[in-house]
Amino acid sequence: MKVSGSLLRGFISYQTGVYILLIVVSVILLSPLLFSLSLALQGPTVAPSIIPRDLTNLDWRVFIRVFEEQPVIIRWIVNSFVAAFGVTLGVLVSSSLFAYVLAYFDFPGKTLLFFIALGSLMVPFEATLIPNYLLVTQWGWTNSYQGLIVPFIASGFGIFLMRQYFLTLPRELYDAAMVDGCSRFRYLWLVLLPLSRPALATLAVYTFLGTWNQFYWPLLVTSATEWRTTQVGITIFRNFEGGAIFNTQMAATLIVMVPTLLLLVLGQRQLVSGLTAGALKG
Amino acid sequence: MENELSSVATSTATAPPLARIQTSLQLLERAWARPRNRELVWALLYCSPALIIFFFFTYYPFFRAIFLSMHITNAAGEPVRFIGLDYYLRVLALDGTGRTNYLESIATSFRFVLMVVPPVIILAVGLATLATARVRGIQIFRTIFTSSIAISLASAGVIWSLIYNPSTKATTWLVDLLGLPSPSLLANPSTALPAVAVMTIWSGIGFNFIIALAGMQAIPSDLYESAAIDGAGRWQAFRFITLPLLSPTLLFLLVIGTIGALQAFTQFHLLMPNAPNTVFVYETYRAFWYDNRYGLASAMSIIIFIILLVLTLVQYRLLNQRVHYQ
Repeated sequence: MKVSGSLLRGFISYQTGVYILLIVVSVILLSPLLFSLSLALQGPTVAPSIIPRDLTNLDWRVFIRVFEEQPVIIRWIVNSFVAAFGVTLGVLVSSSLFAYVLAYFDFPGKTLLFFIALGSLMVPFEATLIPNYLLVTQWGWTNSYQGLIVPFIASGFGIFLMRQYFLTLPRELYDAAMVDGCSRFRYLWLVLLPLSRPALATLAVYTFLGTWNQFYWPLLVTSATEWRTTQVGITIFRNFEGGAIFNTQMAATLIVMVPTLLLLVLGQRQLVSGLTAGALKG
Repeated sequence: MENELSSVATSTATAPPLARIQTSLQLLERAWARPRNRELVWALLYCSPALIIFFFFTYYPFFRAIFLSMHITNAAGEPVRFIGLDYYLRVLALDGTGRTNYLESIATSFRFVLMVVPPVIILAVGLATLATARVRGIQIFRTIFTSSIAISLASAGVIWSLIYNPSTKATTWLVDLLGLPSPSLLANPSTALPAVAVMTIWSGIGFNFIIALAGMQAIPSDLYESAAIDGAGRWQAFRFITLPLLSPTLLFLLVIGTIGALQAFTQFHLLMPNAPNTVFVYETYRAFWYDNRYGLASAMSIIIFIILLVLTLVQYRLLNQRVHYQ
């Protein structure tokens, strides 16, 4: 009796200790976000304090006022959504088709296609940036959705992710369908893609997040204020205001985080499997 | 196949036009009759969306960048005069002029890697260890630890630029503690790079945490149970089971983190855009965007490519070798 009592007490104190540690660490990690929330709620002051002085008088309306003061934010959000959806859709389609060929087709020169996809992973964004910028400018694609979307609608990562998944599905199914006279496209559309929903969801969440958070490319190919994306928008916002009005800028920054934070909470499993795709395969 | 082709080719050379058309039609028909060739046509069709994009936005610009890097270019980015490898020699300070600012920015890039990558991995492993605790509601804490994945570098940069902004007084204590001449950490040459590194660490914790946690969860729990039976403590279990079995994951994080830190752009654009000493990628942006020196900037981007390629190959090599399990 005595032994189990002290065991229980030890267990409780262990749990309490873990909770205290978890909470302290969480607060430290979230402190920059709490700081930005604090600045957002303090009104248009030039000398905000880290924690609001008057906690009963917080300016929650700033999240609405920011849209009134800077209506272009709505346009930035629309731009980011269109670009992120466009790229995601394009990557899903082009990767599935390419991966289908790599996983199931048999033809001369297949190795070459494999290496074209693999090679695309070896060329970093930075190495193609300047000619890409010159090309897109020459085509008149600056300040346009095609300029933000088209360069990214093929993904070596997406191709290999889908190929890996297709290879885990039984090959006999494909052979049987072909014998029964099923066309290739019908098999892809009616059998393979429905079976591959987990991989497609992973690729979609991963691509959407990556595109939404893009900064460098949108910075280069958009120059008109109404063509900026949210990520570039919140930074030029800073320059407009000259750093004097912290509250609206912080409110805007917090607002544009909402879609990706929602995605993280709702699509965490997909996101994690996407991120770990390369990590745990030795 | 080749014999067949050549025999048809020799026969068509002497045949009358109509017969020639007939033989070439036969040839096509015969090729089409082979399932593998028919598959090739379908394959090219299915792959064409990605192939077209790869051609225009990956391979063509890549070779174009190599081409431009060997030329002096005009304001429109067209090559004007061939200069061979001069730009590469200049960037690597091998041209004998003694200008080393580009080489220094490469060194700055690697200093930045050292400031970011080891700390972020150590913090992530610590957080992952904490997140394996079996308590109720742990999932909420895991989501909090992961949250920085969803916060873009641009958002993080804007927030941290205000944290470092003297008027918010968030870092005044640190500036006073260090006795710095300027009230902003970002304005002092000695603290600017570490300040950007701290922001980058914060931003990278989510990704590193999630990978470290997945690696830890992949370790079979019976190893810990048998270690506990053998009388191993918490630290010993961590040191002799977790760390060795986690080493492939840690190595992956090390290489991926190094590649990512070398590519860092957004945080430098937001936090220290006018700093005299900056990282190589940002130096490239300045040469390209502000100075319109497309040739020079292309040479710099090819140098980035080579550095990253070496790291990528190391990554594949290490992952294939399966880091020691002891």
